Amino acid sequence: MNIHAYERLWLVASMVLIVGFIVTITYGTVGLGITMVDDREETISPDDVDEDDRFQDPRVEQVGENEFEAYVVSMTFLFQPDPIEIPANNEVTFYVTSRDVIHSFTVVGTNTNTMVIPGEVSAMTVEFDEPGEYGVVCNEYCGPGHHDMEGSLIVHPEDEYSLTELSVDAPDQVGPGEDVELTISIQNGLLEDLETTVDVEVGDETLEQDVTVPGGETEQVSVTVDGDDLEPGDAEWSASVDDEVETGTVTIGDDADDGGDEP
Amino acid sequence: MRISPAKLLIVIALCLVVLVEARTILAFFDVEVSVLEIALVGVVAITALVVWAVRPADEETSEP
Amino acid sequence: MTDLFVDEYPEQARLVRAAFLTSFVALGIGALFGVIQALHRTGVFRIVESTTYYTVLTGHGVFLVITFTIFFLVGLYQWAVTDSLQRGPVDARLTWSWYGLMSVGTLIAAIAILAGFLDDPPDVLGSELSADVLFTFYAPLQANPIFYAGLVLFVVGTWLAGADWFRTWWAWKRDHPGERIPLPTFMVLTTMIMWYISSIGVAVAILAFILPWSLGLIDSLNPTLTRTLFWYFGHPVVYFWLLPAYLLWYIVLPKLSGGRLFSDPLARVVFILFVLLSTPVGIHHQYLDPGISEGFKFIAMTNTMFLLLPSLLTAFTVVASMEHGARQRGGTGTLNWLRALPWKDPAFTGMALAGLVFAFGGFTGIVNAGMNINYLVHNSLWVPGHIHTQVGTAVALTFMAGSYWLVPQLTGNRLVGRQIALFQVVLWFVGIVFMTNSMYRAGLIGVPRRSAEPQYAFDYEVGVGSMTELDVQLALGGVLLFVSTVLFLAIILLTAFNTDSDPLVDGTIPPALSGPEDSPRVLDDLRVWIGIALVLVVIAYAIPLASIVDRGGLFGPDVGPFPVVVDGVMYLQHGVAYVGVLIT
Repeated sequence: MNIHAYERLWLVASMVLIVGFIVTITYGTVGLGITMVDDREETISPDDVDEDDRFQDPRVEQVGENEFEAYVVSMTFLFQPDPIEIPANNEVTFYVTSRDVIHSFTVVGTNTNTMVIPGEVSAMTVEFDEPGEYGVVCNEYCGPGHHDMEGSLIVHPEDEYSLTELSVDAPDQVGPGEDVELTISIQNGLLEDLETTVDVEVGDETLEQDVTVPGGETEQVSVTVDGDDLEPGDAEWSASVDDEVETGTVTIGDDADDGGDEP
Repeated sequence: MRISPAKLLIVIALCLVVLVEARTILAFFDVEVSVLEIALVGVVAITALVVWAVRPADEETSEP
Repeated sequence: MTDLFVDEYPEQARLVRAAFLTSFVALGIGALFGVIQALHRTGVFRIVESTTYYTVLTGHGVFLVITFTIFFLVGLYQWAVTDSLQRGPVDARLTWSWYGLMSVGTLIAAIAILAGFLDDPPDVLGSELSADVLFTFYAPLQANPIFYAGLVLFVVGTWLAGADWFRTWWAWKRDHPGERIPLPTFMVLTTMIMWYISSIGVAVAILAFILPWSLGLIDSLNPTLTRTLFWYFGHPVVYFWLLPAYLLWYIVLPKLSGGRLFSDPLARVVFILFVLLSTPVGIHHQYLDPGISEGFKFIAMTNTMFLLLPSLLTAFTVVASMEHGARQRGGTGTLNWLRALPWKDPAFTGMALAGLVFAFGGFTGIVNAGMNINYLVHNSLWVPGHIHTQVGTAVALTFMAGSYWLVPQLTGNRLVGRQIALFQVVLWFVGIVFMTNSMYRAGLIGVPRRSAEPQYAFDYEVGVGSMTELDVQLALGGVLLFVSTVLFLAIILLTAFNTDSDPLVDGTIPPALSGPEDSPRVLDDLRVWIGIALVLVVIAYAIPLASIVDRGGLFGPDVGPFPVVVDGVMYLQHGVAYVGVLIT
């Protein structure tokens, strides 16, 4: 076949270019040990998402020193959990699945981006260096409300990050002069011990109690406020640990004194 | 005219393209040019081009 | 000067005109939908509800990349086969049947799409008439069955068209034993081989899974499987749009430049490379898909990179042919020959500018193909930027420019408003640069594609300028493109009615500088290339498909349908889910 000299030169240059591209991309993926979204996760039927250990309660979990896992469910037209809170400078593996149609899980302005296909679980491990709030969007058309599908990812500085959950058991009502006792459960989702202080306010009374919650466990703290210090009527209470706050109201005194609108 | 109207049109079009893309390319080198600045450069460049193009070429003026 | 095409082959000219008419009607509607989107998503002007945006978007996709491009293709290829073999089809009834089938298919799909504009669409075949599923129709989004049925009829029509051209060629071969296939016909036949191999994917996806599922015959399907079958077809379809433009660049552009094609053998090699490599690359659209192993993605990536080769070779041949033409016209110097090209001819200028934009779009395509960088741009506005430089300009602008040369030969009328036509192609070029520059930049900062309102609670980190500036630039580009389309359609319409005139066009195609006799005959042995192409497809797809079926089952891990209907029930569902989340 008769090929012009320049054409031959161009052909060779083209092949060099192509091989060059393949080499750089190979280096940029395999060479750097970056794993892509692939088929390492088992399939899951969208109907079983609610029974799955990971997805029935979408959340972030610590699984090792500097290692976290985030279980995210996407559906028309939202992400769960929202916001997703993770620490900076830690490896976070996102596991994302869909309840209905094809979505994406895309952290805007980053390369944290994956398709989310019903029946499959996308897994990707990333590390965020920059604390801040990032937008999460679905960038695959998923129905008429597609453009409303938005979430957020909050990356906390490593030393300010906690996975503390608070629940408070408080009476709705106590008799006049009776003590008000709050039982506060503090769940520490991190693997390290949590040394902190519980602040309790009931009416105008404030109390403080130091507590240490071992990694991965739940501690209960009981705080009692003397009934004599409280005015009859509705008293607001709050219990807080770090940034977590629970609030409620306790009625002191008889129903009859309280407007009498009970049945 | 120094160049035909068709060529002038194409050169103006290429000029616009260069102006639009130049901002993006300059931004890679941390040179930020505002829209107003690039628009001004564009107006000056294209006016200069048109003025140059419609001025009679030397050989044309000598024609009867 | 030879006779015009319309005088030599009046029956064929009628068919090509009919195909172009359908194509241009679709172009008009698609362009209108395009400008509505450009103004809507940027928030400049919103004429429709944001939920209806997706009806507009589906129409824009289907009417432009299916109807406009493929009807133009069949028209152009009918011309190319007839003109280069110098004979009509064996049986004109077959020719009109495929045209009819394609038209009916388009019409049915169009009805399903346009019903999305109705407040209360009627029920057809057991479900509401609607097809807001975009042209990729990813299950489990579900359209009305007639949408899929329309697509099937359309594709079957194109298959028959290919069969018709093969039949014409076989008849010609009997009369011309031992002759090389004329280059235009060679291009037509190789394109159709690629199309047959690749459209199997979408045919299986629709006929075996999506259509029965939309009719309620099966309850569930495997979304990864239908998606993979779609992309098995979805990448080669890109070349199905592009190869008619290549035909014009190889056959017509050198002639318009005043010269001859540089190399006939290399043109054949290029088309064979497309037959071989177009299909085993589709997984590069699925780099971010779960359920497909990294190894398969890697194979698709390397194949994709080799697919650059035919386009790089084309760049050489086309530029070399143009330079040859310019020198024939008296051009000299290293670059000064550019001035000798016939820039006042809109057909030439349009194709040359389209080629220039194509080169630019090629680089953005390489970015998409990089499996690591793809994470940054996947499904961002960068991708429509790439699509609009490629199919929206390299293809569409070449088609428009080609029409300025072809339509006078098909009608026997002189082209109306040559200067306006020149302005039109230049306007398209400027419009696309404005629009795609904005799209690329917005894509890099994470603005998603396919969104009616890409404005969220967070702010994008715009590197240069501001979001408003990007929006205005995109909208401006969209408006320029729309004006350009209107000008094009007006010129063609006026030309069609410009009956009492003689065209100023020479339809003869000069032979290549280096003719087919310089190339080995095996290039023309199509069976060899079909065989190799099939082997490559099996290597690239057999194991991935088997693995997908093995993981999720043929009919999926119990994935139910999700009809895309904009009504109260949808919102109720949405609302309940939302409230559910707020409570938990």
